[in-house]
Amino acid sequence: MTSPALRPADAAACAVALAEAARDGRTVRVRGAGTKSYLGELVGTDSVLETTAIAGIVDHVPADLTVTVRAGTSFADLQAALRERGQFLPLDPPHADGATLGGIVAANSNGFSRLRYGGVRHLLIGTVAALVDGTVMRAGGRVVKNVAGYDLNKLLIGSLGTLGVVTETTWKVLPLPKARALTVARCATAADAFAIADALVRTPLRPSALVVDGTRRAWAAIVAAQGEPAAVGRAMDEAGRAAARGGARSDRTDDDEQVLAPLRDLPGTATDGALVRASLPLAAQASFVAAALGLEPFARCVADAGSGIVRIHLRGDDGAVLRAADTLMAGARSVGCSARVERRDDALRDRLASWGPAPGGDFLMRRIREAFDPARTLEPARSIVR
Amino acid sequence: MTVAEAVVAGLRGPELGRRLASLLGPEKVLWRPEDLQLYEYDGAVDTATPDAVVLPNGTADVASLARFCSEHHVPIVPRGAGTGLSGGAIPVFGGVVVSFARMNRIFEIDAANLRAVAQPGVINLHLSTAAAPYGLHFVPDPSSQKACTLGGNVAENSGGPHTLAYGVTTDHVTGLEVVLSDGTIVRLGGKALEDEGYDLVGAFVGCEGTLGMVTEMTLKLTPLPEDKRTIMAAFPDMDQASEAVSAIIGAGIVPAAIELMDQLATEAVEAAVGAGYPLDAGGILLAEVDGVREGLDDQRERIETICREHGATTVRVATTALDRERLWAGRKGAFAAMGRLTPDYYVQDGVIPRTRLPAILRLVRDVGERYGLRIANVFHAGDGNLHPLILFDMSHGPDELRRVQEAGFEILEACVAAGGSLTGEHGVGMEKNCYMPLQFGPADLAAMERLRSAWDPAGLMNPGKLFPTPSRCAEFDLRKRRS
Repeated sequence: MTSPALRPADAAACAVALAEAARDGRTVRVRGAGTKSYLGELVGTDSVLETTAIAGIVDHVPADLTVTVRAGTSFADLQAALRERGQFLPLDPPHADGATLGGIVAANSNGFSRLRYGGVRHLLIGTVAALVDGTVMRAGGRVVKNVAGYDLNKLLIGSLGTLGVVTETTWKVLPLPKARALTVARCATAADAFAIADALVRTPLRPSALVVDGTRRAWAAIVAAQGEPAAVGRAMDEAGRAAARGGARSDRTDDDEQVLAPLRDLPGTATDGALVRASLPLAAQASFVAAALGLEPFARCVADAGSGIVRIHLRGDDGAVLRAADTLMAGARSVGCSARVERRDDALRDRLASWGPAPGGDFLMRRIREAFDPARTLEPARSIVR
Repeated sequence: MTVAEAVVAGLRGPELGRRLASLLGPEKVLWRPEDLQLYEYDGAVDTATPDAVVLPNGTADVASLARFCSEHHVPIVPRGAGTGLSGGAIPVFGGVVVSFARMNRIFEIDAANLRAVAQPGVINLHLSTAAAPYGLHFVPDPSSQKACTLGGNVAENSGGPHTLAYGVTTDHVTGLEVVLSDGTIVRLGGKALEDEGYDLVGAFVGCEGTLGMVTEMTLKLTPLPEDKRTIMAAFPDMDQASEAVSAIIGAGIVPAAIELMDQLATEAVEAAVGAGYPLDAGGILLAEVDGVREGLDDQRERIETICREHGATTVRVATTALDRERLWAGRKGAFAAMGRLTPDYYVQDGVIPRTRLPAILRLVRDVGERYGLRIANVFHAGDGNLHPLILFDMSHGPDELRRVQEAGFEILEACVAAGGSLTGEHGVGMEKNCYMPLQFGPADLAAMERLRSAWDPAGLMNPGKLFPTPSRCAEFDLRKRRS
C-alpha cells in the first residue's frame, strides 16, 4: 500500500491535484506530519497528499492578536515564532512537537487548556481549503468576530480531510501568561479525584487544566492555572483547599509541563490495547470511569475533567479489551453522548471499529459529504461520515 | 449544485392561513390583514407582509407546519422577538412567519453539567436570571437582551459587549433540536462538548434561519465572575480612545469588555439615561475586567495608566454595583437613546482588525460629511466590531433612505478592504446579501450553497436572505460599482 505522494506547494496546486484525482477516479489520503495516522479507519488509497510543502507564517499582527499560517507549518514552529513576540496560540494538542496546524484542525486536536481558552473551535477564525472540484474556498477571515455567511470553519474542524484539504489557517493568539502553576492532589479513589475537579470547575477560577488521572490503585486530580500571578496563586490555594476537604495530600509545582505533557500525549504513547475516548457531560465522567474499570480492571484513565473528555486505555487481554471498548462506545451513545476508539493495537484493527453508533444528523453529514466530495476522492473510509 | 431561486409559486393568501388554522388549530394561526401588520417589520428598515403567521406550541406543531409548507411550496421565515438588525425575520417572498413566542420554556438548569435546556422563545436575559441562583449565567449579552430570544441568538450567532473574553453564541451552544423544511426533526449534539462526525451545531449557529428551525437548545452556563472592575475614561477625540484600546489589549490584558462611544452618541445617551459620561469628551471608553478578586485591581490600575498615557482627561472607576450598572446602562441603552437625536437610524456592524480602528473612524466621519449625514459611533472596540448609527428621517422619503444605505455601503466596503467583515453580530439577512460578493468569491459562496442545499434542498427556509438573489440584487451590480 505504498502510494505515490503528492506534495503541492500551495492551495491552487493542491486544488488542481485533487481535481485531477477526482477526474481519474483516484482516492487520496491527506497527511500533514502523519502524527495521527492511527486515527480512524485506514484503507489503502491511490495516493497520499502531503501538506508539508504548504508551510510558513503568512501574517502575524501582534497588536491584532491574530496570526495567519499555512496548514503544513508545524505547531512547534509557529509557537516558537509567536514566543519571540511574547505571544502564543493557546492550544495544547497531543503530538505538539510534530503535528501541523492543518492536522490539528482536521482532527480537532485539543488538550486540557480548552477549558480556559476554548480550543480549536473557538480559536480558529479563518481557513483556506482546496476542494475536489478544483476550487479554493475561503471561510471566515482575519477578524475575531464575523457572522457573514455560514461558519464553514466549523465544518472543517474534525472533518478528517473528508470535505477538502485545509491549506491556510488564521487564529486568535494571546500574550504569554505571566505566571503558571500546577497542583497535584493524590486521591484514594476516582470519585474523590472527580469531586475535587468538580468543585473547581464551577468556580470563577478558570483553570487552564483540570485533569483526573489514575488506575485502579492510585488517583490524582491535577489543577493548573495560567495568567495574572495573583489569580494563579488564588487558584492554587483553592485547589489545595479542595484537596484538603477531600482528605487528599497535594503538592504544588511551577513546572506544569512536566506533569501535563505525558498525560496530554497519551494518544501518542498508548500503542498497545485500545484507547477509548469519550465526550461526556461533566457529571457522567465518574460513573463512566467506574464502569470502565469494572469491565477492564487494568485500564488507565485520563480525563480532561473540565471538558468531559475521558480517555480509557484498555490494556488487558484482547478479548477483554474488545468487549470493554464495544460496551463503552454503545453505553456512551445510549446516554446521548459519544465515544470512539481513538487508537488500537494493529493486531486489533480488524476486530475493533474506530467509530461507535451513528451520531444525530448523520444523514445531513452524508449529504454534506456528497455535496463536497461526490466521488469520495478524499479519505474514502476514514471518518464516521462515509 | 446551487440554491434554488426562492419559491414564488405555491399556496399563498388567506387560503394559506385558513388551511394552516385547520391543520394546527385556529388559536395558533394569524391571517387577517390587521393581525399580520405586526409581523411586517423587525429591528431593521425593510418590510414585507407574510401571508400567515403561525405561533407553534411545540416541536410537533413546527414539524406539521413544515411538512405542510413543503407540500405546498410555502416559504418559512422563523422569528424570535423581531429585534434583529438585518431584516432576517422579514418574509421577502411572503409565506409563513413562524413566531416562537409561545415556545418559551426553560426545561432544565442542569447546574451539575453547566448546561441549560431551553426552547427558542425564551428571552435571553431570563436564562441568566434563572441560572443566577446556581452562580451561573449565559454569556452572550446582546444589547437587546431584555427582549431578544435565545432562538434568535442561535440563528444570528449573537454577540454583545461581554463576548470579547468569553466568546459569542456559537461558543456557548452544545446541542440543538432542529426541524428541517421537510418536517424532519433532527437532534444534534447534546450536553457533552462534542459529538462525532461533522460539527453540525457549529455549522447551524448563525445560519439566519436558512437551514432549519431550532425547537430546543442545549446551552453552556458559565460560573459568574467573583468580582468586576468597570472603568470609564474620557478622551479628547476618538483617535486617542481607539489607540488606548489597542494599547490595553497589546499589554496583555484581555478585558471582559471594551466599548467606545463618540460625542454624538454620548450626547444622546446622557439625554436619555444620564449615565454620567462627560459631554465635552470626544470619545468615551468603557472597559470591564472580571474574574477572581485577586489581580483585578492590578489590571484596573494598568488600564487607568494606559488611558492617561493616551490622553484621557477623566478616568472613573465604578465603586458600587449601582455605579457599574449606570455606566453600562448608557452603553446598552445607546441605540434606544438615538430617539433623542433622530426619528430613525440605520446601523451597521462591519468588523475590522483592531489596529485599523483610528483609520476607519476617520473614514466614517468623512463619509458622513460627504453625504451630509450625522453618524454616531458606539461599538465593541475590543473586537473591532463597529456600529455606525446613521441618523435620518424616514418621512423624508425613499431618496433619503437610499442615500443612507449608500453611505453605509461605503463604510462596509472599507471594512472589507481592511481585511474585515460585513457583519460581526447583526447578520447578513436581506440588508447585506447583495454585498456578500464583496467579501466572498464564487468558490466561497458555492461552498455555502452546498451546505444550504444539504439541509434545505427545496430552498423554503427564509428565502432571499444571506445569499445574493438575482431578482433583488440585479440593480446592485458590484462590478459596475467598482468600475
